[in-house]
Amino acid sequence: MPHFGFGASAMKLGEALDIANRVPEEGVAPKAISLVCGFTPLHLLTYLRAYGRLRFPESGISADVGLFGDLQGNLQRAAETSVGEIALVLEWSDLDPRLGIREGASWNNQTQLDILSEIEHGFNRLWQTLHVANRKSLIVVVPPTLPLPPLSHTPGLQASRFELRLTSLLSSFLQKISEEPGIRVLHSARLDELSAPGTRLDIKMALASGFPYTLSHADLLARLIIDLAYPVAPKKGLITDLDDTVWKGILGEVGVHGVKWDLAGHSRPHGVYQKMLAALADNGVLIGVASKNELELVTEAFQRADILLSAPAVFPIEASWGTKSSSIGRILQAWNIGPEAVVFVDDSLMELAEVQSLYPEMTCLRFPVNDAAGIWQLLHTLRDLFGKPRLGQEDRYRAASLKTANILRTSSESTSPDFVTRLEGTVIFDYSKALSDTRALELINKTNQFNLNGRRLTAGEWAAHLQRPDSFLATVSYEDKFGPLGKIAVVTGIHNNSTLEITSWVMSCRAFSRYIEHHTLDRLFEQFEVDELQFAFSATERNGPLQEFLTGISGALAAAPVRVTRHGFSEKGRVLPHTVIENGSNRAQITDLLHESLS
Amino acid sequence: MDQTERRLQTCFTKVFPELTAQQISNASVDSVAKWDSMASITLLSLVGEEFGTELDMDDFEQFTSYQGILDYVRLKEAKA
Repeated sequence: MPHFGFGASAMKLGEALDIANRVPEEGVAPKAISLVCGFTPLHLLTYLRAYGRLRFPESGISADVGLFGDLQGNLQRAAETSVGEIALVLEWSDLDPRLGIREGASWNNQTQLDILSEIEHGFNRLWQTLHVANRKSLIVVVPPTLPLPPLSHTPGLQASRFELRLTSLLSSFLQKISEEPGIRVLHSARLDELSAPGTRLDIKMALASGFPYTLSHADLLARLIIDLAYPVAPKKGLITDLDDTVWKGILGEVGVHGVKWDLAGHSRPHGVYQKMLAALADNGVLIGVASKNELELVTEAFQRADILLSAPAVFPIEASWGTKSSSIGRILQAWNIGPEAVVFVDDSLMELAEVQSLYPEMTCLRFPVNDAAGIWQLLHTLRDLFGKPRLGQEDRYRAASLKTANILRTSSESTSPDFVTRLEGTVIFDYSKALSDTRALELINKTNQFNLNGRRLTAGEWAAHLQRPDSFLATVSYEDKFGPLGKIAVVTGIHNNSTLEITSWVMSCRAFSRYIEHHTLDRLFEQFEVDELQFAFSATERNGPLQEFLTGISGALAAAPVRVTRHGFSEKGRVLPHTVIENGSNRAQITDLLHESLS
Repeated sequence: MDQTERRLQTCFTKVFPELTAQQISNASVDSVAKWDSMASITLLSLVGEEFGTELDMDDFEQFTSYQGILDYVRLKEAKA
C-alpha cells in the first residue's frame, strides 16, 4: 500500500517543525516572504519556514500564504501587500484546474484546445502582475515541477502536440519574465538532478488535502526557494595552480611547448578548465595564479598562441618556490579581499592542506587528476560558487581596475592629493531611488572593509526602505585616466529635516585612496542642504578602513550615531580633487558629459 | 507513559507546541481550537514519519483525537 506523504526527505518533517517553531530573538524582525501558489501549501510552508530559520538564525522568516485555488488572485494580493520577497510556485493544475486530478472536467480533444487558450491567457495575466510586483519585490518563480496528467492520445514515450505546445507556452513565459531585473526562475534542470520527477507527486495527499508534494520534494523545493530568494554572496576570486591543473605536465620539466591542454595530448579536460576560468574572468571573477615555478617560464607559457586562458585575464601571477600560502597571501593583498571570498584550486592534496591550514575560511578544491567526470563536476561547482543573478558593467571593469588600484597602492605618492588630482577623475552622483538598479543592493551586501556597519539587507527590505518617502539613496560612480570603475559606492538612509541619518554606506575597495569618500560627504551636505550627518556606525571585524576615515573626520568613534557637522567636515581637511557630475539630468547626458570630459 | 505514547506526545508537541502533556493526552478536534484539517494532515504525516507506518486514506477518520491516534498506532504496531 502506498504510504501517505512520507518519503525519504533530507530534513524530517518533525525536524522542520521544530526549527520553524523556534522563537525568534527579541526585537529582531523576521524576513517577510509571500508564498504564492494555487494549492494548499501545507508542508511546503513548514519547510520554507524551517530553511528560512536556518538561513536567518536570529530572525527566521514570516511567510504568508493565499487562498486555495486562486493563483492569480494570490499573486495580485501579494503584489499589492507584500513587504518582502515573493515565491511564486506554479503547477499545471493551478494554471488550469482541468490539468489536475481533483477536478471532474473532461480531458477530451476540445477541452485540450480550450486548456491551451486558457493557459496562454493565464501566463499573460501572470506576466502583467509580475511586472508590477517586481517594482518592489524580488520574485522567485518555480516552473511546474509535477508531471502533466496522461490526457494525450499518444503513448507516454511520444510527446503530444498538446504537451509540446504547453511546454512552448511555458518556455516563452519564463524567458520573458527572466528579463525582469528582480525575477529569478528556478532552473528545472537543477531540480531534476536533485529530485527525480517520478518521486514528486503524492497523489493520495493531493486528493485528501490538496497538497500535491511528497515530503522529500517539498523539502527540496523549500530549500531551493530560500537559496534563490536569499542567496549567499558569490565568491569573488579564484586562485589556481598551473602544473597538472591549468595544463597537463610539469612546466619546469617538459618546457613551455611540452605542457598540453588539447585532445591530441589527451589533456582536453585541462583545456576545458581553462575555458571555464576565461569565462569566469569575463564575468568579473578575479583569476590569480599561485604556482611553484619560474616566473619567466610561466609568462612564456601564457604567451602561447593556443592557450585558452589568456594572460590579460589573469592577475596576479605568483610564480616562485615559496609556499603556496605565501603566494596566496600576496594575491589576497593585491586583490584586497578576504580569504572567505576566494576559491583555491590545486591538484595536490598537500598544497590544498597547507593553504587550508592558514586560510580555513577559503574554499579549497582539488583539481581531479585523470578524472574527466570529476572535472565536469568541478566546473558545475565553480558555477555555483561564482554565479550571480545578473552581470553589471562593474563586472567588466573589476580586473582592470584592480590592477590600477594595485599600482596606486604600491606607489609611494599615490595617496597624496596632488597625485590623485593628476588622475583627472570624475565622480558621478545619482540620487534616483531606482529599484531596477540592483548594483546598489549588491554593493551593500558584499562590501566588507569600507562598510558603515556590516548590515546586510534582503531585496524586500531594500524595496521597503526605498519606498519610504523620507529615504534617500546616493550611488557613486567613478572614472579617471586609467579607465572606469563603474558604480563603486552607495550611501543611503533617512532625510530628517536638517539631518541625514545614514544607515548604510559602502565603498568598493577598488576605489580606495582616491578621496571619493570626501566627495561623497561633501555632496550629501550640499544636495540635501543639511548641517549634520548622523552615521549608524557599528564596528565589525573587517571595517577598519571605514573606521579610520570616520575617526579622522569626527575625532573619535563614540557609540552610534556618529555625528559629523558641515562645519566640522570643512575644518577636518576635506580633499576634493575630482570633477563632480550630479544627476537630475538624465543618464544619457551624464554619460555624454563623462565621455566628453575624458576625451 | 510507555515509549509509544512518549513518541506520539512528541509528534503532538511539534504541531501544538503550546499544549502541556496533560492537555495533549486529552486533545481532540473539539477541545483544541488549532486542530483543523491541516493540523490533522500534518499529524498524519508526522506519525507516518515517526513510526514508519504506512497510512491509508481511511485512517484519516481516526485522526480526530489523541486517544484515537494512540489506539491506531498501537494496533499498527501489534500487526507489524
